[in-house]
Amino acid sequence: MTYFVDILLIALGAALINNFVFYYFVGICPFIGVSRRVEMAFGMGCAVTFVMTIAAAISWTMTRFVLMPGAPLTRWAAGLWLDPQAAAGVDLSILSYIVYIFAIAASVQFVEMYLRRFLPLLYRSFGVFLPLITTNCAILFACLTIMSRLVGVDDPAARWDLAQALALALFGGVGFTLAIVIMAGIREELEACDVPAPFRGVPIALVVGGILAMAFMGFTGVDNGLKTALTPPAAIVAQAPQADSGNGASTP
Amino acid sequence: MSTPSAAQRFVRGILPENPVYRQMLGLCATLAVTNNLKSAVTMGAAVLFVLVCANLMVSLIRHWLTPHLRIVIFTLTIATFVTVADRLLAAFLYPMSKALGPYIPLIIVNCIIICRCEVCAAKQGPLTAVADALGQSLGFALALVSLAAVREILGTGMWFGFRVLPAAWPDWVIMVLPPGAFLTFGLLLGLANWISARRGGKEEA
Amino acid sequence: MNAAIMTTDTMPAKRPWRDNALFQGWLVLLLAVVFGALLAGVQTALGPTIAANKRNETLSQVPALLAPASGAAATAKLEIDTRMLPVSRGGRTAVYRVHRARRDGQLAGWVVQTAGQGYADRIEVLVGLSPEADVITGLFVLDQKETPGLGAKIATAPWRRQFVGKPAAAPLEVVKGGGAGANQIDAITGATISSRAVVAIVNRALADVSSQLAADAGKAAP
Repeated sequence: MTYFVDILLIALGAALINNFVFYYFVGICPFIGVSRRVEMAFGMGCAVTFVMTIAAAISWTMTRFVLMPGAPLTRWAAGLWLDPQAAAGVDLSILSYIVYIFAIAASVQFVEMYLRRFLPLLYRSFGVFLPLITTNCAILFACLTIMSRLVGVDDPAARWDLAQALALALFGGVGFTLAIVIMAGIREELEACDVPAPFRGVPIALVVGGILAMAFMGFTGVDNGLKTALTPPAAIVAQAPQADSGNGASTP
Repeated sequence: MSTPSAAQRFVRGILPENPVYRQMLGLCATLAVTNNLKSAVTMGAAVLFVLVCANLMVSLIRHWLTPHLRIVIFTLTIATFVTVADRLLAAFLYPMSKALGPYIPLIIVNCIIICRCEVCAAKQGPLTAVADALGQSLGFALALVSLAAVREILGTGMWFGFRVLPAAWPDWVIMVLPPGAFLTFGLLLGLANWISARRGGKEEA
Repeated sequence: MNAAIMTTDTMPAKRPWRDNALFQGWLVLLLAVVFGALLAGVQTALGPTIAANKRNETLSQVPALLAPASGAAATAKLEIDTRMLPVSRGGRTAVYRVHRARRDGQLAGWVVQTAGQGYADRIEVLVGLSPEADVITGLFVLDQKETPGLGAKIATAPWRRQFVGKPAAAPLEVVKGGGAGANQIDAITGATISSRAVVAIVNRALADVSSQLAADAGKAAP
C-alpha cells in the first residue's frame, strides 16, 4: 500500500508539483520554440514523453547494473581480472553522463524506427519532432534525477526501482506536455492581442510562463497532504510504542 | 557575408550575437541558475571551459569529420568535457557543485555548444574556434550575470551574498523562485529588444 | 546513429576513402580511447579529493552537534567513525548512516544522517544524540530547497537550537506560537509544513535508531 502511495506521489510530483518546465526549467527551448500551435505542442509533448520513458528505462538499467559503485555486472566483469576486493571498488559512475546521452540518442532512433514501421499514424503526428529532442534537456534531466536516487543513497530500500524511475519519466513527460499545451493555447490567443512591439514573440511568452509558474506553485505541498491522508493513521500511531519493545528485543 | 576574423567573432559573440538574448540558446541554464550571482558566475565559467575545450578539439579534428558521424563525435567530445568540468567543480568548489546539481551535466544538451561546434569549429582553424568560443561563452556569462544581478538584489537585497540594499528592504521572494526567472528574463529581453530597436538595430526575428 | 539530424550540405567536398565505414568508425574509436584515458586520469587525480569533500561535508558538522565536553575531555581530539546501521521495524527496513564520536576512547555522542520529504523538495538533516542516545544534542540541515525567507528558516541556528536538550524517547510535536513543553517545537511563522516535515524526519529517525544506539553504547562501555 505505502509502495503505491509512493509511486503516486512520484507521479504527481513529476507532473504537477515539481513540474519539469515550471519548477526545474528543463525543456525550455521547445517550450518557447514549439509552442505556437496547440497541435504541434501536443505532438512535441508526446514525442518527449515517449522517448523519456524509454531513455529512463535504459539509464536506470545501466546505472543499477553497470555504472553505480558496486554494480553487479561491473563487479563480475572486473572480477575476471582483479581480486574480489578490488573488483567491488570499481566505480564507473564517471561515464554516466556519456552513457545517458547516448542512451537518449539510441532511444530517439528506436522510437523513430518503431513508429515509422508499426504506428505510421502516430509517426505522422509527431515523428518530425523526434530528431529535435535528442538535445532536449528534460530527458537528460530525468536520467540524472534517476541517477541521484540510485547513486549515493545509503539505504538499499530507498533506492528507486524500475517502476519508480518509469513513473518519474512518464509523468514528467505528461507534465511537460501539459505545460507546453497550456502555453500554446495561450500563445494562440496572444496573437490577437496588442502587445507592445519589443515584447512580441518570446518576451511576452516568458512573462506568460512566469504567471503559469506562479499558478503551478499552488501545487506545492499537495504531496505532503496527500501522503498524510493516504497513510492509514494506525501505521503512524503504532510506530511509537513499537519503538522500544520491537527494537529492544531484536538488539543483542 | 565575408568570413569574419577571429577578433570579429570574439566581439560578435558578446553582444551583437549574444547566445541568450539574440539566439535564444541555452535557456534552461539561463533560467535555472540565475537566482544568485555566485551560481551564475560558476555556470558561466563551466560553460566557458566546456565550449573552449570542445571547440578546440573539434577544430583540430575537423579534417577527419564525416557527415554521418559528425554529431556523434560532437556529443562524445562535449559529454567528456562536461564530465571533466563536473569533477573539477566537485573537487575544488564542492558547495557550488552541490548547489548547481544537475545543471552542470545538463550543459551537455546546451544548444550553444553543439551549435558553435557545428557552425564554427567544424570549419575554422583552432585560433578562430577558440576566439569564437571565448566570445560566445562570455556573452552567455554576461547574460546570466545580468539576470542574476536583477533577481538576487530584488529577491534578497544582496549581491554575491553581501548585503547591498538596507536590511529594511522587503525581499521580493518571488524573484528568486521559479516564476521570477521567467518574469525577469521576459522583461529584460523586452528591454533589450526595445534598446536595439531604438538604436535602429535589426528587429527581433 | 542520428542520421536524421544530419545536414550534409555544410560539409566540404568528400574524398572517397573518407566515406569508408571502417575509417569513419576508427575516428570515433580513437576518440573514445583518448577520452577514456582523459576521464580515467581525471578520476584518479580528483576522485580522492571529491570523496573527501563529500565526507567532510558531514564530518565537519559533527563537533557542533555533540554536547559540549567539559574538563580535560574538552581539549581531546574527536575521533569519528562512520557505519551503516540497518533497522527493520513494522515490516519496513531502512539503513541509517551513523557517525560515532569518541574523545579519548570515551563515547562522546552519535550523529545520525537522515532525510525525508519537505514542503518543496527533499530535506536532509543530521541529528546529534547524547552517548546514551536519550537526548538530542544538535540538529543541522544539510540540504533543503524550501521557500526562501519562509521555510528556508529551518536551516537557521535559532530555530535549530530548539531541538537541543529535547528527549529522544517521546516523539516531538510542532506547536504554533511559543510552545515550551518538554517535547514541543515552535513552528516557523508561515512555514508550519516545513517545520512539521523536519520534526517528522527527526521523529522517524529517532524511533528507528535510538534504542539500538543506546544498546550499543551500553556494550561499548568498559
